[in-house]
Amino acid sequence: MVSRFRPARRLGLIGLLFASAGCSDWLSYDPGSLRYIEAEAMTRDLGPKPNLHGKPKLQAKVRETMARLYGPDPQFIRVPKGAPLMLGGRYLASHLREGDGQNARDRRIYEGDSFQDPKLRPQSGGYTVYRRNCLHCHGVTGAGDGPTAAFFFPRPRDFRRGIFKFTSTPTGARPHRDDLRRTIVKGLDGTSMPAFEPILSPSEIEQVVDYVIFLSLRGETELALIEEASISEEGDNDALGEDIVQEIVSGVFTRWKSAQAQVVNPAVARTEPTRESILRGRDLFLASDCKDCHGRLAKGDGASFVETKISDEIIFGGDPSKMADRVAALPEKVQALWKQKLDEWGNPLRPANLNRGKETTYKGGRRPIDIYWRIAKGINGAQMPGHYPSPFDDRKMWDIVNFVLALPYEPELLTEAPVAPTAGAPAVADARPR
Amino acid sequence: MRHWSILFAMAAVGAVGAFVYAYFSPDWWLPNPPGDFHHSVSRFGREIDKLFFIILAITGAVFVGTQVVLVWAMHRFADETDSQGNPVRKADYFHGSQRLEVIWTIIPAGILVFIALYQMGTWAEIKYRSAAPKVPPLAEVTARQFQWVIRYPGPDAKLNTVDDLVVVDDLHFTRDRMALIYLRSSDVLHSFFLPQLRVKQDAVPGLTIPVWFDADRAGDYELVCAELCGWGHYKMRGKVYVHETEEQLRQWIDEKLAEQNRSRLTMTTAPNGR
Ligand code: HEC
Ligand code: HEC
Ligand SMILES: [Cu+2]
Repeated sequence: MVSRFRPARRLGLIGLLFASAGCSDWLSYDPGSLRYIEAEAMTRDLGPKPNLHGKPKLQAKVRETMARLYGPDPQFIRVPKGAPLMLGGRYLASHLREGDGQNARDRRIYEGDSFQDPKLRPQSGGYTVYRRNCLHCHGVTGAGDGPTAAFFFPRPRDFRRGIFKFTSTPTGARPHRDDLRRTIVKGLDGTSMPAFEPILSPSEIEQVVDYVIFLSLRGETELALIEEASISEEGDNDALGEDIVQEIVSGVFTRWKSAQAQVVNPAVARTEPTRESILRGRDLFLASDCKDCHGRLAKGDGASFVETKISDEIIFGGDPSKMADRVAALPEKVQALWKQKLDEWGNPLRPANLNRGKETTYKGGRRPIDIYWRIAKGINGAQMPGHYPSPFDDRKMWDIVNFVLALPYEPELLTEAPVAPTAGAPAVADARPR
Repeated sequence: MRHWSILFAMAAVGAVGAFVYAYFSPDWWLPNPPGDFHHSVSRFGREIDKLFFIILAITGAVFVGTQVVLVWAMHRFADETDSQGNPVRKADYFHGSQRLEVIWTIIPAGILVFIALYQMGTWAEIKYRSAAPKVPPLAEVTARQFQWVIRYPGPDAKLNTVDDLVVVDDLHFTRDRMALIYLRSSDVLHSFFLPQLRVKQDAVPGLTIPVWFDADRAGDYELVCAELCGWGHYKMRGKVYVHETEEQLRQWIDEKLAEQNRSRLTMTTAPNGR
């Protein structure tokens, strides 16, 4: 009796197959250690901008201070006292490192969604939510440099400077917590920033809001420390003393905290979007600076920016890492204009197309109050200036908001408008209603 | 080696057993409400399930029949050797059988034709544009990488006007009423899939495709994308909520509209700003 296969082995194989199918929870995923990426200014010579190029001692000091304040790497988070985070940062991760040196220990602080059965959910907290959902775009350090970032226009936000576009606080101020929450819950319409409402639970959203703030605080502190150190001598042992570090950190925290009480609420109620109000808004649009950027037909092709056709070619015309080459191939004058019209983070920028019919999107939300905030206070880091209280007063603000909201459904508002003869406005021949 | 027949018999019994087990397990059964997992909530769901069971019965019977023959043949004709190690039976060789081939071609073909004809009514009812319910559209659903932009008519009851409600990933409709949506895509191919309602329709750039469905139970369901559409495909999900009454749906839309029309904060300093 000859047997070529042993049935027992066959059975064993089949058993293994069954065991490995659908039982992925058995294998816990260990991403390994992630590491923060340092600010450029730490080592690179940035010319007139503060930097620590060629000052290894000061660099070491900044690194050591950063690790002491915020933890050495993303796995070990520390939060200085008084941070504008929920419960002093407890929702950032499942582990928080407390104490220093020998006394340092990991404390398990927040487990999962339900506060139940901590062992089942060892990986939770803002850091985990961020790592799973945001890191590939926004990067480990929050520098907007995740592995997928290069392929998006607009580029994912760099959180490290604390500058956010879609805020309800005064021009240039830090955002309110609600602003960040809105961005994460609803996404930024028309960009690759997704809406996380259907994917994350409300508590996960709060956790990741905290983590975004944490990365901002960390990045701002790093820049401030570098700036402070850059005015010291390399040999100065007293540089970045405890007092100064404290001052810097509390300065960073205060900027966030004070913004929480400064939300701009329109002084008067919205004017009904009547025909008169919309037409007044239209006239304001044509008479003010809007058209220079957004274009005579509000198609996002204003004369003060590089022509849409050219910027399409630069942004979408090939390998994103070769964008600089494409810019270099432009005529000098266009090149200069292009460089002038980058956003605060050095990425390509272009004015919104406000006249795309029902496809018109508003990144920061389509509520009248959102549009009000955008126009009244401008868009931080994106060159769009604020317009309140001047040149627009309370009443004019609502007229222009009403106009912006009506325009996509009534493009004839602009195509049939009396031509205001302004320099650089596109010819009326372009005025094709959709 | 007669043992082989036992192994194959076990595999067949296991496969049949899996289907029997599935019938009693909400996790293994079709996507239905957890409390009542044998109830398919939508009219089309019930029809599709019926077709599914007919096909299951046919394939099940064929499977059991062929397995019985297979196992029996393995058992009956297992290789046997005598004490010298020589085969007891001689193998026969014959060059095909036209009659058998004709039979086993005609029977499956007949079954396929039967299924093709039998399902036509259901297909027509679910997919033919002429069968679309004559109701005002519930919404226009535009797929984009990686979300569902859903536009409901506002107070004027007309789509694509300034008072529309626009939400993301949130589909609401009313129980026991055929809901009609217009499906579009603003970038690549996506597929609008309501697993519990057994509705699946590709969203094709450049086309506006009517899709209709109902549910006989209020509650939460799921919307997912069923066409690999890019890196974020796996998270292209939406919530579906079925309201008890039309008033409740209206009320939900009104609440959302009130928020969409918000022009001032009521409490500037409330901790959560709401
Ligand atoms: C697919 C890439 C992508 C993913 C994933 C992503 N984002 Fe973004 N995010 C962006 C882009 C792009 C922008 C900037 C859009 C712009 O500048 O117009 C942005 C901007 C932001 C902003 C700044 C908004 C402002 O007002 O300036 C915040 C905050 C933010 N994202 C948080 C998150 C969080 C939290 C997650 C994970 C839960 C996340 N993002 C996931 C792409 C992404
Ligand atoms: C200096 C140029 C400039 C001027 C002047 C300007 N904008 Fe903008 N605006 C921009 C840019 C750039 C963006 C796009 C920002 C972005 O996408 O990050 C923008 C975006 C917008 C948006 C879209 C906001 C969103 O949520 O997506 C609106 C609405 C808008 N502008 C209205 C106006 C109005 C009304 C005026 C005149 C009162 C005006 N803008 C003046 C440059 C300008
Ligand atoms: Cu999709």
